[in-house]
Amino acid sequence: MTRRDLLWNAGGGAAGLALAQLLQGKGTHFPAKAKRLIMIFLPGGFSSVDTYDYKPELVKHHGKETQGANTITPFFGKRGTVMQSPWKFAQHGQSGKYVSELLPHLATCVDDTTFVHSMVTRSNAHGPALFQMSTGFIFQGFPSVGSWISYGLGSENENLPSFVVLPDRRGLPPCGVANWGNGFLPAVHQGVAFGNQEQPIANLRPPAAVNAKAQAASYDLLSQLNEEHAGANPGEDALVSRIRAYELAAKMQLAAPEVTDISGETAATRKAYGLDDAEMRDYGYNCLLARRLMERGVRVIQMYNGGHFGAPRVNWDAHEDLITNHGKNARILDQPTAALLQDLKQRGMLDDTLVVFTTEFGRLPISEGLGEGGRDHNPEGFTSWMVGPGLKRGFSYGSTDEMGYKAAENPVTLYDFHATILHLMGLDHTRLSWYHNGLQRRLTDVHGHVIKPLFA
Amino acid sequence: MRSLVLLLAATAWGADPASLLRDRCLKCHGGEKVSAGFDLTKAGSPRVMAKVESGEMPLGGPRLGPEELAAVRAWVEDGAKPLVAAPRKQFWAFRPVVKPAVPQVAGAKTAIDAFLLVKLQAQGLGFAPRADERTLLRRLSFDLAGLPPAESLPYEKAVEAYLASPRYGERWGRHWLDVVRFGETDGGEHNFERALAWPYRDYVIESLNADKPYPQFLREQIAGDLLAPQNPKMVRATGFLTAGPWDSVSAELNKDVAMKATARMDELDDMVTTTMHTFQAMTANCARCHDHKFDPIPTRDYYKLTAVFQTVGFGTREVVTPEAKAAYEKATAPLRAHLKDVEHKIADAEDPVRAAYLRKAIRAFHEGRKGEARRIPVNPVFNVNRIREAGELRLVITGHDGPVAKLDWLTVGGRRVEKWQAERKATPDEPVYLSLGVVAAPGEMAWACDEQWARKPGGITVYRVEAKRGAEWAEVASSLDHVRSVEVSLPVAPDPGLVPELKRERDRLKAEIAKIPAPERIYAAMPHAPDQAYVLERGSIGKKAEAVEPGALSVLPAAFAADKDRRLALADWMTDAANPLAARVIVNRVWYFHFGNGLVNTPSDFGLMGDRPSHPELLDWLAASFVENGWSLKWLHRQILMTQAYQQSAAHNEKAFAADAGNRLLWHMPLKRMDAETLRDSMLAAAGTLDLAMGGPSFRLHRMESGGSYIFKAVANPGPETWRRSVYRFNVRGGDRLMLDNFDCPDPSVATPQRSSSNTALQALTLLNDDFVWEQAQKLAARAGSVGRAYELVLGRAATARELDLGGKYAADHSLALFCRVLLNTNEFLYIP
Repeated sequence: MTRRDLLWNAGGGAAGLALAQLLQGKGTHFPAKAKRLIMIFLPGGFSSVDTYDYKPELVKHHGKETQGANTITPFFGKRGTVMQSPWKFAQHGQSGKYVSELLPHLATCVDDTTFVHSMVTRSNAHGPALFQMSTGFIFQGFPSVGSWISYGLGSENENLPSFVVLPDRRGLPPCGVANWGNGFLPAVHQGVAFGNQEQPIANLRPPAAVNAKAQAASYDLLSQLNEEHAGANPGEDALVSRIRAYELAAKMQLAAPEVTDISGETAATRKAYGLDDAEMRDYGYNCLLARRLMERGVRVIQMYNGGHFGAPRVNWDAHEDLITNHGKNARILDQPTAALLQDLKQRGMLDDTLVVFTTEFGRLPISEGLGEGGRDHNPEGFTSWMVGPGLKRGFSYGSTDEMGYKAAENPVTLYDFHATILHLMGLDHTRLSWYHNGLQRRLTDVHGHVIKPLFA
Repeated sequence: MRSLVLLLAATAWGADPASLLRDRCLKCHGGEKVSAGFDLTKAGSPRVMAKVESGEMPLGGPRLGPEELAAVRAWVEDGAKPLVAAPRKQFWAFRPVVKPAVPQVAGAKTAIDAFLLVKLQAQGLGFAPRADERTLLRRLSFDLAGLPPAESLPYEKAVEAYLASPRYGERWGRHWLDVVRFGETDGGEHNFERALAWPYRDYVIESLNADKPYPQFLREQIAGDLLAPQNPKMVRATGFLTAGPWDSVSAELNKDVAMKATARMDELDDMVTTTMHTFQAMTANCARCHDHKFDPIPTRDYYKLTAVFQTVGFGTREVVTPEAKAAYEKATAPLRAHLKDVEHKIADAEDPVRAAYLRKAIRAFHEGRKGEARRIPVNPVFNVNRIREAGELRLVITGHDGPVAKLDWLTVGGRRVEKWQAERKATPDEPVYLSLGVVAAPGEMAWACDEQWARKPGGITVYRVEAKRGAEWAEVASSLDHVRSVEVSLPVAPDPGLVPELKRERDRLKAEIAKIPAPERIYAAMPHAPDQAYVLERGSIGKKAEAVEPGALSVLPAAFAADKDRRLALADWMTDAANPLAARVIVNRVWYFHFGNGLVNTPSDFGLMGDRPSHPELLDWLAASFVENGWSLKWLHRQILMTQAYQQSAAHNEKAFAADAGNRLLWHMPLKRMDAETLRDSMLAAAGTLDLAMGGPSFRLHRMESGGSYIFKAVANPGPETWRRSVYRFNVRGGDRLMLDNFDCPDPSVATPQRSSSNTALQALTLLNDDFVWEQAQKLAARAGSVGRAYELVLGRAATARELDLGGKYAADHSLALFCRVLLNTNEFLYIP
């Protein structure tokens, strides 16, 4: 059998792959810095010029027509005037990082954080930009970052999914579950969205009419019938794998409610995560749940702060009223996210956990329309950050021009960004591939350079 | 295998430096392709020595060894003469199909078996013994119908019966829909529904059932609208072209001109990609930014293909002549008027409070506006527009009071919008859009933004209503022509006692109207004015190079008729006798779905990066015989189903497994896990609840949750109206993951020529705990009445005494329904023998 045959037998799935093989993954290409990843995603477009990318020039030119570098056509086509941030900036920590007053708690974490200020993405529309951040491609249907990592590294636990998604309670992000789909990778690598506390995973509990005793007896009878059938059909690995899958399901049935039950957490922890605050409670709970999931060996968590575009808007898409929109969302975001970072640090988990904080694009430094208070989309220069092992802490990489329009120094494409994430997880982005419709597909398409200057 | 070839070649190079350079250098520096401007067929160069010595070349390949370096040195010393490129042997996929003679093999029952046995016997192997009749019938039934067998027939009779059954088109149509990425929502940010995409699905099922000759099937999907523009069946076929995702936001809303133009190129790319994958197994899309890295497809060919599809847009079209349309309007007008009247009465009677309120409001409105000119300002309480067009409508708001436009309610065509507010301010340049959905018949739109006269800010003052005509939106009403209140009929005092009778009358009228054939509206290829196509450097819309005309792949000698319509020319080119791909590709697909293993295991990629045929002669024999037999798919199925290869058992064989673990040689017929649809349909069949109604609008397992963009959530407790075959399910892009998705039913955002067959804990949880399974298990128990009968219904066999004992005990302790649930979870049910 040639290497090619092996690849296609896996891809075509003619025979079910052994479950153990799927759980194991393919393994790292080189020693990993981090073995877990949490991606915090702010859908709608989180403004960097109002948070982490300090632009004193905006104050100077506030209200003026723009000139020079700006050739961007805003998504909605309405050019406005330069708009200074309504929030004041100050320096923080040993690194003296400028952060606006919008994020007072996250400002205390800057010395642990590695900022990338020169992010660029390919589309100015939410859909394609979300897809690119989530999957590397601007089109729908490709495997998400978490699915690639699950495929590459496999699971670290036996009773929970390897890739868990924590959507914002206010609603799914735009484009919904396509943001964590497995694309053409096997379904075992799909992101599993945790719903309410009662039934975090769909179908976790038996139908109401089936009591625990009957359920246990069902597992027993089924396993007996399946063992006999497998015995009569030697050489069919898939039959044995499926018996294992039911064992896993039974374990998951116990493990999932345990992880979502936070009654054992201290009052101090709950307070730190904002669980006593009506606005922060839901997101704070997700932050705490993220830590608990990672403690139990979940490999990748994709957590959202923000939902879709309903009315009222529940994400960061501040077209009309930046102050209200970002003000409200930042209040929900700031304290619990900072609490998560501190909690991970305190427990020593930052030594092998990579935290990534990102959005699909930033927002323009001009107002959307003359005399208006919103900002339109900016795909050509925005900020993301990481916290984790192997990174230079309290470090800022890349920059935008003096107004914050476009990446100026060291532009970082999403291909570079993804390649770097994979690298920290011990994966070579050029080798983590899957044959699909004529190509060895990769998260980074045919692009991407690991951003080595970020590494300590 | 490949390294062995290299090794042998390396030995040969020692003798002939020119041959070494040909093999290692000319791929990139040899006339066809000239990297870095360096062409060794034009001029040799002593610089070659330094490049190979330093290891800089061959780029991406192993360095030359000492003997090889010596050979190059000899060539340089000899004057580094230009090299003559050896004629390259054509890649297998592009060679003409030549029908080979059938090998003489003892014991081969059919020609196909003979080709297979030659390879098996070369390894000292043979087929597994024939499977027993029950197993064969079960295999055949799941394979051709996607359902468990309903009756016992001798195998040969069963083959004919299943091929003649309409279940065949449903089962194999589903395979086809995977390949062509058929979806019923746009995908992406807005993810609008395509309520009228299903006619394409019906076209596929009907075509397969009718055993349409394959070239006709192909031609209709590429250009049916050109073959017969007034024939709905032909227009339905072109749903193929528009079945993929469509980014309405980038196409319609985005103000950035370059982004918009790129979105159009993405639309064309989707059509080129899918057409070339589906019918030719060529990854032409790889040539969008650069010449194909592996296959002989220059960028120019790719852009010629984009030119072919320039005449196609996305949207819903009405297939009718103007005369027929007018006749329909005339024939239905009195009925529709009557129906509307009845519907109003029902609405009034069912909601007397609103009716009374409206009466009062209208009267007040009317009193206040007496004597005003026809063009009256929009009123916050109650407005009516006459909408003279049916179809997909939207409200375009361009002016309002307050920060954002609001509506308290709006009704149109029986659809109701409650308490809506815009996300942002609307202006004449930046309107806010509100989709009104698809409205079945012309009628009135009534709306209010301040029902309580509360003077809430946000009242809509300037608006228009637009209907989708093809790819365009056309204004059909506006704030300037809303109707004066006197023209609105006042609701009469309602009598709730009359409602049942009114509803009967309504249903009767609807049935009457339905009897009159309506013009068909179909989501399919929309006529689109073609733009000039250009080669785009690096695929970038800003870098137009040479202008190109419609055309196809230059590697094949088939003719592309420039004088024909471009899409017809492409269809002819694909099925031309000088194009070997169409026949090879489809026979391989059919083979793949029967065996779970293709002769070529990359069914949509016959290029260099794809698989090589395991049995090239068999592939060509099948392709040639398929064409000789009128390109009949049913003929092809029959040949395959009558082979020993197909009829052998799943028996394991250690020796064969050691030699060929992937079963490429087909030494047995391995168990196959049911695909998602077969699983769901078979549960319904076993429970006796399966509704076999064919065709028509899709049933829904997802509901749309609106909020600026659409999110598709699971329908809670889907009822018996959803107990149809899964091929009739509404195919959502990016919907909540439900049972079918967990069992590898693909999201139609990308084409899926091969499904995964994964094995996960979530599948176990779904099959055990999903309400659907539990509901069907209960129905099954009621139908079966006993453990023994349940075995027959689910597994198609009698239970053993031990199984009866085991099952009986369990059912007594718990319930027969719970036992049925266990049976529906067994591997014996899930795995097709």
